[in-house]
Amino acid sequence: MIKFNLNGKDVSVDADPLKSLVRVLREDLELTGTKIGCAEGECGACTVLFEGKPVTSCTMNLIHAEGKDVKTVEWVAASKLGEVIKKAFYEENAVQCGFCFPGFMVTTYHYISSGGTDDRESIKRALSGNVCRCTGYEKIISAVQRACNDAKGVK
Amino acid sequence: MMNGNKLVRVESLSDLFAKSASCKDNFCYLAGGTDINVQISKQMIKDSTLYFISNLDELKGILVNGDELVIGSGETFGNIINSKLVKSKVPFLSDSLVNFASPLLQNAATIGGNIANGSPTADATPLLLALDADVVLVSAEGERRVKLCEYFTGYKKSVLKKGELVKAVAIKIEDGKSYFYKKVSSRKSLTIAKVSLAAVYSKDGDKFDSLRIAVGSLNEYARRLPKVEKVLLGGGSDDELKKALQAEITPITDLRSDAEYRFDVACNLINSLRN
Repeated sequence: MIKFNLNGKDVSVDADPLKSLVRVLREDLELTGTKIGCAEGECGACTVLFEGKPVTSCTMNLIHAEGKDVKTVEWVAASKLGEVIKKAFYEENAVQCGFCFPGFMVTTYHYISSGGTDDRESIKRALSGNVCRCTGYEKIISAVQRACNDAKGVK
Repeated sequence: MMNGNKLVRVESLSDLFAKSASCKDNFCYLAGGTDINVQISKQMIKDSTLYFISNLDELKGILVNGDELVIGSGETFGNIINSKLVKSKVPFLSDSLVNFASPLLQNAATIGGNIANGSPTADATPLLLALDADVVLVSAEGERRVKLCEYFTGYKKSVLKKGELVKAVAIKIEDGKSYFYKKVSSRKSLTIAKVSLAAVYSKDGDKFDSLRIAVGSLNEYARRLPKVEKVLLGGGSDDELKKALQAEITPITDLRSDAEYRFDVACNLINSLRN
């Protein structure tokens, strides 16, 4: 049994400690918001907050989570800032197929909550581990800019 | 069991050495997992014992010890890039690592893993070579220090003995040096170098007073270029420089680039350092 804190609740998982964290989240804990894209750390569709920092959960194992704090897109989406981010992406037409969006959402949440500004270059750098193959980055960057401004005063 | 691999938890380095001493399987260490997990899924690591070292405090820490900056092998690139100590003592390292992989991987990948994995394209290695870093190795027998420029012995091969691991990296703090780093690749970030070149130097007018150059992705492992350094320090001609470079690099053609392009880029980078 491996225990960790997931989205604010203590969970225990009986699975191979080497199983990839994203597969544990999706298959054992039935949180399917986190997506599996490349499965080797390149696309960012599997981004989660690990001890508050965004990481690719496909390159992490269940063992990495033991005793740690993990937050997925389900938690981020339900937060006040998550609502602001969703609205901003909607307003800017920044989600087309939506597969990469959970990863962008988590990375954007971290970017804004850690004090990121609406400077496009800073946003590009922060999002450089998240790959989108259909919407295009300009709209996504604009959406993050909008979310930065809309989030002022939102915790 | 993922591809026949088995995970073993350890509480400390001494616990690790006690457990790994009797291990009959192939074994490796699992820290951030960003390289190891790709190798597991591609079955490059199978039927092995993996020791989980990610939580070992003995491999953590960024501190100044005398005239050196010492970085624990288990420190993530994110911690190194954001460390005020690194920024003030060896800014070349933190400034150059900003585009390492991606911010997501920076938060998991460790500096020890980048060295120990031994990829010829590893981003940290040319920087650390140009900084003339030492690696601190640890085993049940104790610690030893090796110059990073003497650590690699072949493609993904090193002087590490079975049961030994990288404990820390030690970088001499130097004042009054200039720095040069260029990673040439197909994107700005989240990319693997076609060619990378790092240099630490001081110049008096046009003349180099001191110079260390290291390259990545141009040989079976990242390395210093002593012949090229000698030509540049002696103010040699472009022809001499090209010959020295030809003697020291063996670029290959692969999916990312071709040998001729890599050679030309290496020449151009050295010329832009010179001028």
